[in-house]
Amino acid sequence: MLRRNIRLRREYLYRKNLEGKERLLYEKKRKIKQALEDGKPIPTELRNEEAALRQEIDLEDENTAVPRTHIDDEYAHAMERDPKILLTTSRNPSAPLKQFVKELTIVFPNAQRMNRGGQVISEIIETCRAHDFTDVILVHEHRGVPDGLIVSHLPFGPTAYFGLLNVVTRHDIKDKKAIGTMPEAYPHLIVNNFSTKLGQRTANILKHLFPVPKPDTKHIVTFANQSDYVSFRHHLYEKDGGPKSVELKEIGPRFELRLYQVKLGTVDQTEAQIEWVIRPYMNTSKKRKFIGD
Amino acid sequence: MVNPEEAGLQVLRRLKSTDPPTWLAPNPSLAQDARAASLHLFSSLQPFAPKSPFDRLLVDGFDAEQIWQQIDLQSQPLLSGLRRELRRFEKNPAEISDLFGGGEASEGKGKGRGGGVDDLGGEGMEVDGFDEFDEDGDSDGEEDGEGGAEERGVEGGESGESEEGEEERNDGGIEDKFLKIKELEEYLQKDEAREYGLEDGSKKNKEKKTVASDSDEEEEEDEEEEEGDDDDDDDDDDDDDELGEFDVDDEDDGGMGKLGSARYEDFFGGKKEKVAPRKYRSSDGLESSTDDEGEENGADGNKGNHNLSTHEKELLDLKAKIEQMEKSNLEPKTWTMQGEVTAAKRPKNSALEVDLDFEHNVRPAPVITEEVTASLEELIRNRILEGHFDDVEKPPSLPTKAPREIKELDENKSKRGLAEIYEEEYAQRTNLASAPLSFSDELKKEASLLFKKVCLKLDALSHFHFAPKPIIEDMSIQANVPALAMEEIAPLAVSDAAMLAPEEVFAGKGDIKDETELTQADRKRRRAKKKRINKAEATKRMAKKGRETALNRGEGKEE
Repeated sequence: MLRRNIRLRREYLYRKNLEGKERLLYEKKRKIKQALEDGKPIPTELRNEEAALRQEIDLEDENTAVPRTHIDDEYAHAMERDPKILLTTSRNPSAPLKQFVKELTIVFPNAQRMNRGGQVISEIIETCRAHDFTDVILVHEHRGVPDGLIVSHLPFGPTAYFGLLNVVTRHDIKDKKAIGTMPEAYPHLIVNNFSTKLGQRTANILKHLFPVPKPDTKHIVTFANQSDYVSFRHHLYEKDGGPKSVELKEIGPRFELRLYQVKLGTVDQTEAQIEWVIRPYMNTSKKRKFIGD
Repeated sequence: MVNPEEAGLQVLRRLKSTDPPTWLAPNPSLAQDARAASLHLFSSLQPFAPKSPFDRLLVDGFDAEQIWQQIDLQSQPLLSGLRRELRRFEKNPAEISDLFGGGEASEGKGKGRGGGVDDLGGEGMEVDGFDEFDEDGDSDGEEDGEGGAEERGVEGGESGESEEGEEERNDGGIEDKFLKIKELEEYLQKDEAREYGLEDGSKKNKEKKTVASDSDEEEEEDEEEEEGDDDDDDDDDDDDDELGEFDVDDEDDGGMGKLGSARYEDFFGGKKEKVAPRKYRSSDGLESSTDDEGEENGADGNKGNHNLSTHEKELLDLKAKIEQMEKSNLEPKTWTMQGEVTAAKRPKNSALEVDLDFEHNVRPAPVITEEVTASLEELIRNRILEGHFDDVEKPPSLPTKAPREIKELDENKSKRGLAEIYEEEYAQRTNLASAPLSFSDELKKEASLLFKKVCLKLDALSHFHFAPKPIIEDMSIQANVPALAMEEIAPLAVSDAAMLAPEEVFAGKGDIKDETELTQADRKRRRAKKKRINKAEATKRMAKKGRETALNRGEGKEE
């Protein structure tokens, strides 16, 4: 187990190292391809390597044609198996927070909840790796109101830190009959308006918390971005009749997510490289939108 | 008819004697009594009422509102009549003593005025009693109150019989209980003193009187106020009447009449408190010695009693202001005006009182309104209808090795020898036209047959016009060329003989100069040379032409 981890980490670092050289190669191949398509003469600097590169180009398929960055590499193999999520809280959670975590456990399919007790973060991550979890989600609160969400992808994947706003939990809604039970089917995902690179990255992180759904399921989870605030909504829909009418019934908690940091390591790696962090003190930060639109 | 009267009086007495707490709960017997009492009172007042449509009060089957309306109808004109009478009596008190033989029962709590008549009640019974009753909120409604009020009418003293002070009334009959000319005069005096400095008020009094009489008419018809009480306080407290008049003026909107048994003091505290700070603030107040009111003197005390013109007074004010501003400039500024201030430099908790403004560089969190939710749901609906979801896709399975072609090996011995096979291949390569069709496979034969049929049909479509195949020149270098063809391409040796001698490459002499290197003289030389050559040629041509024409002419002539 330990040796496997060490080997994986070394591979990861090696690939990260190679990235620079691979990028160069990719660029050269791209130039040659371009020249061939246009019918123009091959640029003179590539004349020597042209033959070899040509061969490689011919042998490429769609997987190898794209340059691999170590950044999104984490999700390369994630799609091959269903995600397995562990949910837990900060220490000494209040009752409303515990209820919220219970709800989230049902929202994410294939998720499990664990009491925090007095465990240290690194312990948690170790156990998760041992049991083959793909993601860990930590929920923080302020006086009963959930206010923080940390999503960490496990095999040294990225960690996204979100702040929660405008949280409405199912427990707040007193009328139990109106809200009904939560379905446990794998949901369809709607991810809207994540147009920048960082937005794509965040969308990836959020998407890979969910497994591949059946195409005809009526269960929908929405992440809609509006000026850097991502709204999470959870609906069941019904298509009554032909005239293109869709009945939406909102179930599940609703909250706004605000991304404030993305780190290129797991939660316990405090020295990991920071991919992006919010800078609210900059004068232009009011005008800039980082996630989309 | 004694009996009904007796009965009525009895009922009234009964009502009067019941305990106050019993009024709080609805009591049918009390209600009955009250109705009877109202009936009695109504009928007893009937002879005096100038014009009332009802002969007797209709109480059976009517509710409180309706009974009250009837009573109101009767009492309103009655009241105005009574007022007139009273005024008349006030003017000549002698009449009253004539009427009643000198015995007045002053049952009012306050300083009763002459003639509190039992039956008619004072004016005080009217509004105040009703108002008090309204406050009680008895469930039985107004009839009880009305009866009670009329009973208690004379006692309505606490809520203000309208009063005069002990002062004599020597003004004309313009005044009523609302307007007191004297008080108006005093107030005006005081105000003028404050504004202009203290002066003898005698001259002004007369002016004020005329002013007062002018304003009298408007105030006559006003509803009564509880200003009687205010007057009490004024006179009692020896305070300046200014505020009293203020209050009166302030409360002198028509709406206050019936509504407000709530008074100014209830909300804003007694006038004593208000007066005290003003007294402190007055500078060098010169108290007027007139009457018992205190004086405020807002004017500048320094100039004292001198008459100052308005302009001078303004100048003084301005000067004072300037002085004050200069003084405040010399003092240290408040902490809000001093640049950077730490917590130690300002008083404790003072930042809480000040309105601080920060520039926020973050967009505020979105408030989730109905419209936001609606727009989100709209988006979701559209996506559902399109069927466009952003699910995680299953990765495409990596292509395994390409399926090998499974060749069927023919196990039969080949009918043609190897040499023959090679021969055929050679022939194919060098001369395509004569390549024989050699298909080994049955299926291939069949396929070719079918294809030929299709081709025939297609050709028929194009009327058998032969369209030659377009020649595509293949520029690729074929490496699979037989060795023979390769051999004779390049000469193995090149003899010198074939090479050109330098003179044959280029023949020229002298200094060879480029166009750009020529000097002016060189250019001239070249031009001259060109001209010479041209001239030589031209003469040659001319000579030739001349000979020809001469010949032609000669021939022509000969012929």
